[in-house]
Amino acid sequence: MAEDGEEKLLATVQHIVKTLGRTDTMTEDILKVFSNYDGRLSLDKLYATRAAAAAAAVAAAGGAGAGEHSVPASPPMPPPPAVPPAVAAMPAVTSLERTVRTLDRQISQFVTMDRLIWADSADADAFLEAVDDLIGTVQELDAAGTNRGLLDRADELLSRCMARLEDEFRALIERPDDVAPPAPGGFASDESEEEDYDADDGYGDEPIPIAKPVSDFDVVIDALPPGSVSDVHQIARRMVDAGFGRECAEAYAAARRGFIDESVARLGIHARTIDEVHSLPWEELEFDIARWIPAFKMVFRILIPSERRLCDRVFDGLAPYGDLAFVAAVRTQVLQLISFGDAVSAASRAPERLFRVIDMYEAVRDLLPDLDPVFADPYSAALRAEVSAVCNTLGSSIKGIFMELENLIRRDPARVSVPGGGIHPITRYVMNYLRAACGSRQTLEEVMEGDLGAVGGAAIAVDPDRPTSSLAVHIAWIMDVLHKNLETKSKIYRDPPLASIFLMNNGKYIIHKVNDSELGVLLGDEWMKQMMSRVRRWSLEYQRGAWAKVMSVLQTGGPGIGSLPAKALLQKLRMFNGYLEEICAIQSEWVIADEQLREDVRAAITDSVKSAYMGLISRLKSSPEAAQDLFIKHSPEDVEARIQHLFEGVSKIEVSGGKMLLGETVWSSQI
Amino acid sequence: MPVTEHQGSSSSPSTFSFGRSLLSLRRDHVAMPSGEEADLEAFQRHFAASLGELLPGEVEGGGGGGGGGGGGEEILSVAWIRRLLEAFILCQEEFRVFVAQARRRGALPAAGEKLVVEFHERAVKALDVCNAARDGVDQVRRWERLADIAASVLLAPGEIHEGQLRRARKALSDLSVLLVDDTAASGSGGVASFLASHRNRSFGRARASPSRASFAGATSATSSSHFRSLSWSVSRAWSASRQLQAIGAGLAAPRAHEAGLAAPVYAMGCVLHLVAWALVAAVPCPDRSTALQAHHLPAAPARAAFPWAPPLLTLQERLAEEGKRKDRRNSCGLLKEIHVLEKSTQKLTDAIDAAPIPLFGDREADVREAAAELAAVCAAMRDGLEPLERQVREVFHRIVRSRVEGLDSSMHNAD
Repeated sequence: MAEDGEEKLLATVQHIVKTLGRTDTMTEDILKVFSNYDGRLSLDKLYATRAAAAAAAVAAAGGAGAGEHSVPASPPMPPPPAVPPAVAAMPAVTSLERTVRTLDRQISQFVTMDRLIWADSADADAFLEAVDDLIGTVQELDAAGTNRGLLDRADELLSRCMARLEDEFRALIERPDDVAPPAPGGFASDESEEEDYDADDGYGDEPIPIAKPVSDFDVVIDALPPGSVSDVHQIARRMVDAGFGRECAEAYAAARRGFIDESVARLGIHARTIDEVHSLPWEELEFDIARWIPAFKMVFRILIPSERRLCDRVFDGLAPYGDLAFVAAVRTQVLQLISFGDAVSAASRAPERLFRVIDMYEAVRDLLPDLDPVFADPYSAALRAEVSAVCNTLGSSIKGIFMELENLIRRDPARVSVPGGGIHPITRYVMNYLRAACGSRQTLEEVMEGDLGAVGGAAIAVDPDRPTSSLAVHIAWIMDVLHKNLETKSKIYRDPPLASIFLMNNGKYIIHKVNDSELGVLLGDEWMKQMMSRVRRWSLEYQRGAWAKVMSVLQTGGPGIGSLPAKALLQKLRMFNGYLEEICAIQSEWVIADEQLREDVRAAITDSVKSAYMGLISRLKSSPEAAQDLFIKHSPEDVEARIQHLFEGVSKIEVSGGKMLLGETVWSSQI
Repeated sequence: MPVTEHQGSSSSPSTFSFGRSLLSLRRDHVAMPSGEEADLEAFQRHFAASLGELLPGEVEGGGGGGGGGGGGEEILSVAWIRRLLEAFILCQEEFRVFVAQARRRGALPAAGEKLVVEFHERAVKALDVCNAARDGVDQVRRWERLADIAASVLLAPGEIHEGQLRRARKALSDLSVLLVDDTAASGSGGVASFLASHRNRSFGRARASPSRASFAGATSATSSSHFRSLSWSVSRAWSASRQLQAIGAGLAAPRAHEAGLAAPVYAMGCVLHLVAWALVAAVPCPDRSTALQAHHLPAAPARAAFPWAPPLLTLQERLAEEGKRKDRRNSCGLLKEIHVLEKSTQKLTDAIDAAPIPLFGDREADVREAAAELAAVCAAMRDGLEPLERQVREVFHRIVRSRVEGLDSSMHNAD
């Protein structure tokens, strides 16, 4: 691997350590996993980095060694295997017999060897050479077809070679560090082979090096040191040459599978059945999802491409065995990761799940284009298809959750009224929810696309003046559903003006939230105009409904001709006083949450009421019969002051929001 | 929008149409006289027909194979399982249409919706069975790959020599390790244990090579054998038998007066359970053998109660019988092809063991015959297992989709 590649790898590993490692031991585990990708490179480097960072403290911990070996020492590389010597040209049977006998002697030595042949590169070379000779001899005998007995012997010998090669092959893949002698004084020598994964290896309590986070997953990890890869490739070539390609592919998959399983497990991912996911409390599932997303990226962006590369190098020029081996090695873990996506999709459509499912969907979607080179061959096409399938399923799930929101709004019962006609929790919930959803506009639009009109198509005609993207239509539809639900809820107020206040408050809140976010773009000007005129209408309805009595009492039939007797005027004044008391008593508990709106409504009332009241007073004052013992309880300024104190139940209302059906979710706390 | 290319397929209307297309489809091809009873009757009739087509023809107790009635496939063969899954998909579609129709007519009261939800909850429990079955099928394909190595080596032109025998033995030995592993996971003994004991005797190539021994310590924590299996994507603690019980739990025939959805929901529950049970029985999966106890079957409907009851009961009986057959009881899977694979493997192993080296005359013919048998079953598996796996996925996706699209709730017809 190139030097900058190594740096990237280190940075990535450290980034992963930082982002995934929630506990010290977990971090240590992950480190170890990655260190095992390449014993001499990564771990060595990691600890070298740390040694450099904490140079002073190093002396005791044996870090000096690490420092020395920050440059990875090349393992003693076996010389490139000899080109199979051309089989002696003489076809004489006796000579072939001699050859087979010699090879038998040589090979028997090797296949009965009680240590790995590849532990000694000279042995390995000699063995490979013998195998090449043998393969050539078998081919020659086969072609000649004259000495059946000798061919049988050679073939039998070949099968023994292959069995031994398979063992060596597996050993080289599974435990490359054992085969290639560790660099003198190097890191691997500190550890006994078996304790690789033991927690108690003396590094647990040291600080973990943290690098700048990298978001770049464009990293390939070399699972095996280059020397091992070439050894393994040499063996694979012999096995395929001898017609043992299928055995070789099976052995490869079996050898890699354990590592892959363990890597995924160490990313904190364990198999969950769909049933478990289905019955898991959301908080726990959310935690699982938070772990799944980075693990998914790690696996598909680093682990699997690295496996692909390793496999391609081991089986270089030996198609299709490499493809077979690759799929057999990674299949289970790919499917297990995907299965979690299916499980989450099928679990529940509760609205609060939207955002995590979007995260999952985006992780999978962003990955898809990069999978093509990894899953290019026909054998892994099925795996590629599974990843697309889970992407679609998650997309559908997002749509389903959106539908469910609508459904919940529609069905939210109008049981308890919000005191004072304040903002209903459902309005807050839905608006904040939609605002947050707008943050994922692109994705939502993507999954909604092509689904126009699927929701109550007949009921909502696409308004050409309204933004017409699928998402916009969905959101407009949700707003309509919310509007209808609020109207239903307003009916439970026995006081019609209070119902108007309620609608006004909620309408104003909706306007505010829409203006304050990208929702405004989606819903468009026309929608906004309509909404504002609704609020105006409710305001007028309130004024008419609540103050009509007052206004009619204040009517004096116009100035000029003294049509009303003083007595009647005094009666009117008394009635006005009564009404005012009554209204103030009731309506001081009412609330208009929006300050501006509150001012406007008060001003409008003040305008009409105060001037009419002043008219009445002046009529009374000008009436000679009434003027003598006229007692005016409220000055016009008093009346104005009373009006100015209406709708201030704010703090009281905020606390007693009534029963929240939707509001009691993760959402209300997040927004 | 940056990434849209895959969206074309993902959001095609057909995959996410909220039953709309179904409704129109139904409207097009059946000029319904409308009315619940007509629908119910049609549903039950189709349902019964689908099940009826799965019935093997004349069922004979013991011996040989080809008792194919309806489609000609032997019960529990790959082809038969595929038709069973097809039938399930068909029934599920019918059910969707039925529910959609009822909703459209406004004839689905809250109690009815509750039943629909109940069915979907039950169906979700089958998802894990689908996953386990998919893994099981993949496992069988692994067996096939090894068996095929053995068979094809011995079928190479020319006389059989020691090298080929050695290679075949090794493949069979690796296969036996897999079988033992999987049988242990399924919780039964049988052929695999035979092979296991056999392995020690006749396949006992010097595996105690130090190369392996020196690693044994390091790897034994995770792998006990060379070809360890561990390819379940469901967790190992998962139990097919518990899952089947959960699927069948509370599945009881509706009483006569229960109208509306009660009968179709019950029918769907029964066929769902049957399909899940058949999958578990057919292929290896964790804790499979316990699952095969017939008493896990839910309460059966009275034969006369529904038009589809007789074929369903016959199928259940036939499956239970297969599970109890002596030669199959300890098998890794009731799938016919597995049975043949096991038998042929055993036969080939015996033939190889009995063969003196060098091979002559009858002995060689025996080995070749056994190898040819094994090769034939391998070929059949190669052709059949992949489509079977795809179909298991199809069932899985359909169940997921009906959840995802919210077909289990009435939300789409409100207002």
